[in-house]
Parts: sequence; C-alpha cells; structure tokens
Amino acid sequence: MAEVVFDEASRIYTPGATPAVDKLSLTVNDGELVVLVGPSGSGKSTALRMLAGLEPIDQGHLRINGRDVVDVPSKDRDIAMVFQSYALYPSKSVRDNMAFPLKMRGMDKSEQSKRVNDAADILGLTEYLDRKPKALSGGQRQRVAMGRAIVREPQVFLMDEPLSNLDAKMRVQTRAQIAGLQNRLDVTTVYVTHDQVEAMTMGDRVAVLNHGKLQQYATPSELYDHPVNAFVAGFIGSPAMNLMDLRRANGAVTLGGTQVPLAREVADAAGSADTVTIGVRPEDLSIGGDGDGVKAVVDVVEELGSESYLYAHMAEHPDTTLVVRGPGRTKVRYGETIAVRVDPDAVHAFDASSGERLGS
Amino acid sequence: MRRAPLLPALIFTIIVTQIPFLLTIFYSLQSWNLVRPGSQQWVWFDNYVSVFQDSQFRGVALNTVIMTLGSVLIALVLGLVLALLLNRHFIGRGVVRTLLVTPFLITPVAAALLWKTTLLDPTYGLINFVLSPFGVGEEAWISDFPLASVMVALIWQWTPFMMLLLLAGLQSMPTDQIEAARMDGAGAWAIFRELTLPHLRRFIELGTVLGAIYLVNTFDAVYMITQGGPGTASANLPFYIYQRAFLGFDIGQSAAMGVVVVVMTIIVATFALRLVFRSFGAAEGSN
Amino acid sequence: MATTTERGPATATSEPADQEIRRSTRTGPVLLTTLTWILAIGFFFPVLWMVLTAFKTEGDAQSSPPTFVFTPTFEQFATVFDAGIGPYLANSLGATVISTLLVLLLATPAAFALSMRPVEKTQDVLFFFISTKMLPVVAAIVPIYVVVNNVGLLDNIWTLIVLYTAMNLPIAVWMMRSFFLEVPSELLEAASMDGASLGRTLREVVLPIISPGIFATALICVIFSWNEFFFAVNLTSANAGTMPTFLVQFVTSQGLYFAQLSAAATLAALPVIIAGWVAQNKLVQGLSFGAVK
Ligand SMILES: Nc1ncnc2c1ncn2[C@@H]1O[C@H](COP(=O)(O)OP(=O)(O)O)[C@@H](O)[C@H]1O
Ligand SMILES: [Mg+2]
Repeated sequence: MAEVVFDEASRIYTPGATPAVDKLSLTVNDGELVVLVGPSGSGKSTALRMLAGLEPIDQGHLRINGRDVVDVPSKDRDIAMVFQSYALYPSKSVRDNMAFPLKMRGMDKSEQSKRVNDAADILGLTEYLDRKPKALSGGQRQRVAMGRAIVREPQVFLMDEPLSNLDAKMRVQTRAQIAGLQNRLDVTTVYVTHDQVEAMTMGDRVAVLNHGKLQQYATPSELYDHPVNAFVAGFIGSPAMNLMDLRRANGAVTLGGTQVPLAREVADAAGSADTVTIGVRPEDLSIGGDGDGVKAVVDVVEELGSESYLYAHMAEHPDTTLVVRGPGRTKVRYGETIAVRVDPDAVHAFDASSGERLGS
Repeated sequence: MRRAPLLPALIFTIIVTQIPFLLTIFYSLQSWNLVRPGSQQWVWFDNYVSVFQDSQFRGVALNTVIMTLGSVLIALVLGLVLALLLNRHFIGRGVVRTLLVTPFLITPVAAALLWKTTLLDPTYGLINFVLSPFGVGEEAWISDFPLASVMVALIWQWTPFMMLLLLAGLQSMPTDQIEAARMDGAGAWAIFRELTLPHLRRFIELGTVLGAIYLVNTFDAVYMITQGGPGTASANLPFYIYQRAFLGFDIGQSAAMGVVVVVMTIIVATFALRLVFRSFGAAEGSN
Repeated sequence: MATTTERGPATATSEPADQEIRRSTRTGPVLLTTLTWILAIGFFFPVLWMVLTAFKTEGDAQSSPPTFVFTPTFEQFATVFDAGIGPYLANSLGATVISTLLVLLLATPAAFALSMRPVEKTQDVLFFFISTKMLPVVAAIVPIYVVVNNVGLLDNIWTLIVLYTAMNLPIAVWMMRSFFLEVPSELLEAASMDGASLGRTLREVVLPIISPGIFATALICVIFSWNEFFFAVNLTSANAGTMPTFLVQFVTSQGLYFAQLSAAATLAALPVIIAGWVAQNKLVQGLSFGAVK
C-alpha cells in the first residue's frame, strides 16, 4: 500500500553538467503500474535508482506514503528491485536467493520457507529451488529475480529493463506474466524500459523521459492520441509517426501540392509562424484509389500479412519520406508511384521550433 | 569512512617501505663505518662525490642496465615465440605449458646453484656435453663470460613468465578479428604484424615493466653464480651495495649509492608506470 | 566377449573412408608441435637434471660425460637432513604462511575499498602501492639492517614476516582489487536493498565469488616469500634462516658436491613448484597485478 511522489527530484552526477534526472515530478498511485520509458541515456534508470535509494537525490524530494525518504537508506524504504542483470547471488541456490532478504530481516525459518514456496509456486520455480542460478535458463533466472522481490511483500516494486536479456518470444510471454502478477498482488510498481511497446502494453500510466526531463505522463491511449510534443509523438507508436516541417499558408499547410487544412485552434496557437511540424500516423494515411492525393514513390514494402507498411518518398520533395499503412497482401511494388490521402482530422500539429503541441 | 578499510594496509606499507628510504637519505649524508664504532659524523655530500668518482660504480651501473634490459628483451622474444607455439591446439598442450612454467617457479637460489654447477661446470656440466659435438671443449663459461652466465640463468627463469603473459594476451584476442582478416586475404605474417602485434603491445609493455622491476633487483643469481666477479665484471648494483654495506660495513657509502639508485629508478619508473597505467590501470579505475 | 570381437572389425570396415573426420595431413603443424615439445623439454630439462642428480652418487653426478643411467640412491637426501634442514624448513614455512595470512588480512579490506565506485584518489593510492615495488630493495636494506639491529630483531623470524608482508602487499592489493571489480555492482546493490549489512554482504555475497581469487593471491604470496633471498641472507643467520639461506650455508660448509647440493636444491624448490603448477592458470593474473584476466 504505497503512493510514490517524485517532487522536483534531480540527480546531478557532475556539478555543472546537465542533470541525469532534471526536476522530475511524478505521482505513482497506490497499486498502480507506472512505466518509465525513453531512449537510452534519458535518465530512466537513474530515476528508478533514486527511488531505490541507490542514487542520492541531489535536489527536490521523494516521498513514499507521504514520508520524505531522501535520507532513508534503501534497506529501510521497503522497496524491492528486479535488476536488468537479475543480480542473483551465484553461490546461493534458488531457494537461498529468494530467502536472502527474509533472512536479512530476521524472519523465522518457517515463515521464510512458506513465503519462498508460495512464490516459487506462483512463478513455476518449485522444481528448481535447489539449483544454482548458473544451471537455469534466462527466463528462469528472471523469474528467480522476480521471486526474490515478491517474497518480501514490499511496498513498491522496481524493475529496470527486466526483460531485455530474454529472447523475443519469452519477452512477450513474461511481459504478460509480470502485468498479471502485478495486478494480482496489487503492489505499486515502477517499471523501466526503453521499449515503447512494452510501455504501452504494461503501464497503467506511462512517463516519457528525454534528456532527464519528463515529457509527458499519461495513460497509453492518451499518449498515443494526444502526444504533448513532437518528441513523444515520434517516440510512441511503431512504425513512428510521420513528422514533417511544412510551410503554412492561410489556414492550411501544403503537403506535396495538396492542401491539408488545419483546425482553427491549431492555426490560432501557431500565431504568425510560417512553418509548423505536422505529424500523421501511418494508419491515418491511406492510398487513394482514384489517384487523388500526395504523389509518393515507394522505396520499401514491408508485408506483415494482416497489414503492410509502405516506405515512400514524395515525388516532388524526394527528401521528405512517409510511412503509409496499407492493406495486407498489398499489390503495391517497389518503385511504384502511389497517391497518399491524409485524414485531416487525424493530423497532429507541433510548434516547429519548440516542438510543443498546437491546439488540443 | 569508505576509505577506512584501506588505512591498515596503507599505513603498514608507508611505515615499512617509506621510512627506510628516508633513513637511507639520512645515512647517506654521514660517514659511518660499522667496524669503527663512534666514527659516525656528518659529511654531507662527500659520499655522493665519491660515488660519482667511483669508476667501479659506473661499471656496475652499466652492468645493471645490460643485465636488466638484456634479460628482459631476450626473455620477451623467447617468450613470444613460445607463446605463439603454444597458442595452437596440439596434443599435450597442458603438459607442455606445465613444463615451461617450471623454471619460473624454482627458487632462484636453487636455480643459480643449478646453473653454476651441473649445467655450466667446465668439466661435468651438461651444457659443454651438449655442445661438444659442435667443437666446444671444456669451456669455463662462468669465468670467461660471467655476465652472460648470470643472464642465462635469469633469462631461463623469466622466459616462462613472459610466455604466460603473452599467451594470455594471445588468448584474449577475439578470433573473429583473425577470421575477418583471413577472409580479407591476409596471410599469417600479415595477420601477425597487423593484428597480433598491436594487440599484444600492452602485454609486451606490461611484461617489460614487470620484468624490469624484478630483474633490476637481481641479487640471488649474482651472489650464487659469480659473486660479482671476476673483479666487478658481473656485479650489479644490488650486489655491489650489498658488498659495501655487509662486507665493507660502509653504511654511509652504501646508503648514498642506494639513493643514487633510487633516483635513477624513479626516472625510469616514471616512464614505465605511465605505460602500465595507460595500458591497464586508468581505464578501469576511473569509473 | 564374442560379440565385441565380432563388432570391432565389422564397424571398422563398414565405415567408408570419406566419412571419417578429416584430419589435417599437412606436416607444418606436426613440425611445429615437435618443435614446441623439444623447446619445452629443453626448458624443463635443467629442473629434471637437478632432480636426477639428487638421486645420484657423487661419482655419478660428477662424471664426464654425464651419467644418464644410474642406480638411484637416497644417500644425498640423508646428508641434507643430517645437515639440519629442519629449522630452516620450519622458518620458511612460518615466514611464508604467517606473512601470507597477514597480507590477506590487510589486502582484502584495502582492495575492497579501492574497488568501490567513487573513491577519490583511487588512482593515487594504487599508484603508491605499485610504486613501492619499483623502488630497489637495496636502497632500503642498510637502514633496515641498522634499525633491526638496534631493536635486537636481527635473526628473528618476525623481521622476515614483516618484510615479506610489505613486499607482497602491493601485488595482493592490485590483484584482489581486480577480483573485487569482477563482482557486479548490481549484486552489491541487490544485497543492500535486501537489507544485508556491509559485513554480511561481504561474507555471504562477495567472498564466495572471489574466493578462487583469494586462493590465487595467497599462492603467489607463498611463492615470493618462499623464494626470497636478499632479506633472508642479510638479516638472518642460524636462528631464523629460511630454505634459500640453508642452501647457501649448505654449499658453503659442505663444498660444491653436485649430487648433495642438487638434493638440497630439490627440497628447497619443490614446494613452490607444486604450488605453482596448481595455480598456473591464476599465476599470470596475479603477476600482472590482475591486469590480465
Ligand atoms: N555513474 C554515473 N556517473 C556519471 N554519469 C552517469 C552515471 N550513470 C548514468 N550517468 C548518465 O546519466 C544519464 C542517464 O543515465 P541512465 O539513467 O542510465 O539512462 P537510461 O537508463 O535512461 O538509459 C546518462 O547520460 C548517463 O551517461
Ligand atoms: Mg538504463
């Protein structure tokens, strides 16, 4: 039962340099699974380690259940963490690895083994309890690390890229497992990943970080539908949103000779700027059957079976590239010229210099 | 606080290794002969003047350089050859390596005795017997080539060390690099010159520095094989200073020599240490 | 029995030649292997010769040409034991074991401190430790002698123990630090989050991981202490003399008789040779101050 509050918390490794985490403000509600996502080096791990008590909080505050923990050592924060490398104790068996935090807290033996057995049961580790970590597969090791965290029944779970050492299939499986487990245990969880698909599928809410700064903190669908800036727009979604700086005239922008009207509030927000950044997701572009639309030449066809993605460049501005979602088993081939139609209601507009969203 | 566990080791090392050097400087400014009690008196730099006027000292210093550098270089080359030979798969590789490391493990005094007697003895020595088909008679190696004889024992002991070090270097070389080069059409010699040697460079540097650190302090071999003779033909600085201090009982003189040796070593070591640190220490230490 | 004899030739003939694993038929590797073996035996031969000579009679040992076939005798070893090797052996053991334990005791915490992440001046301290190995021992021997003489510790085993500890400490610190660095920092963090104290973490998490490294460090200290001669010959005589000084004293008093000195040398060298064989994989790592993994 815990609520975690980052309050303008910063971590500055080298004084004078840009902070690794810059005035992060973020509230994680009790029982919520929040994902910190961002490109490599954006400060996700640092933020998590500040919460864990492994990095000092140089500025600002960090509260767990209302208690400021800035000066509380990690062992007294009642937090458990799953490390990217799992950090299993190599000389201890699975059982002893999982029991270690309980032993350190002086819990009595019978309660220890009960909790370890329960956790092993949940995680399907019962038959491996007497093995050493060396004799386990990657997925099993990952589960032991999870087990070591859950036996403690901590207030908060922390996970730093716990799936990055697994193969693609295991990753998808374990992803669902972790989300299910978290749901069941109902423990406040902060989860770090660089993979936006993981973030979108697992998080109750997702915090997008870049250069140590919080960009947006919202539900996955909100992030997807209303990215607050061009960075979030480009980072969330796969393939990424098409982002183009376009000249603006009257109430519209010109895309490959085609006028795309801008909503009134967008035009108002843009003020006198003569270029705006326009973002359109691949699925909001379609291939016009009657030759009506922006002319683009196909460079690559990515056929996925149920759908396809066409990577193209505009016929009139070869420097501008577009990704268009097409139907499965598309007939379009490399080199072909297609006409791309834009759904004007699905257009996102951002300030060309600050990247901030224009309009709602 | 975090440094507290460091202190015992640090303080111990400072007391045992640094204070004697300070005392050496102190004694070097005095005239003091142990066999003449009460002879202790300040003479300031007189001892240094005589050290630099001592032509034997200069010869011995030169011997030290030859002995140290010569042994290190030859051991390195031999070690490299052996390491290359061992860096292949063949029957009995483990045994061969075990055989080859043995000279390094043998007590230096025992090794020196071995060379002085059963190996290099003019009449009964194994070396002359092995060389007799080549027309070598009862060659008295130790009196005719005293410095070389000492060096042979040293090289024999240190080649295995160089081999182990360079073998570790060779084995740390990524095989995909070599495979890529082979596919790029490089022959064995080109691979050795373009890839292997550059890769081994830091190992060679390390071997040179470590070998020099130990060999410059050589005492056992000189003491046992030649006693520095004939004259001072095969004496090095450790032995010469030992003679002055423990046979001549001239504390002041030998202390002054010690200081000179330290200063010379510091000059050389500053370069050497920088090499080691650039190669190994700094990279891991800074983060 | 009958079936096996039947099956043997049957499988041999049923296997077509081209299904056998192809082995290189070039002579190059064979030549190189032969050369390697010759060199290895050449390097090892002096040691073997020492051991062989130790089992010869004095007449066999000093003969020209050298004797290769002889009736082994233990006579020389008996002479060596009669010459009172016992106390020297005990001193060597004492000086070696105690100084090695002291080194481990001092070096382990120091190396741990030096492997922790942000220790300012780590480089300087490491530099200091290794620089003490660069200073020639001869330059210190005079004051050491004078001091030790003044406090009446000449020919005392504890003098050697202290000096050997100082001699090996820098290598041990460097070497152990490299082992500590191999312990992933996440493991220490996990332990601290699990609520383990520093002592507990060291005992339960770190020690099991680095124990092979500690063992290797100990063996290298043993090798160097056992073989040390300079301090031993200058600071000890009958009471605290070690094996190398026994060898010197033995040939000085008995004369250069090849067989018996070979027996003495064999006894002096054997413990360390065995230790070194056991530890040869770790030897490089230790001697390169942990720089070579
Ligand atoms: N121990 C450290 N010392 C100095 N800078 C660091 C340290 N750890 C991380 N950083 C820097 O802080 C920034 C954020 O790192 P991190 O939190 O690990 O990013 P992420 O987990 O998002 O990839 C990076 O620029 C990184 O270089
Ligand atoms: Mg990270």
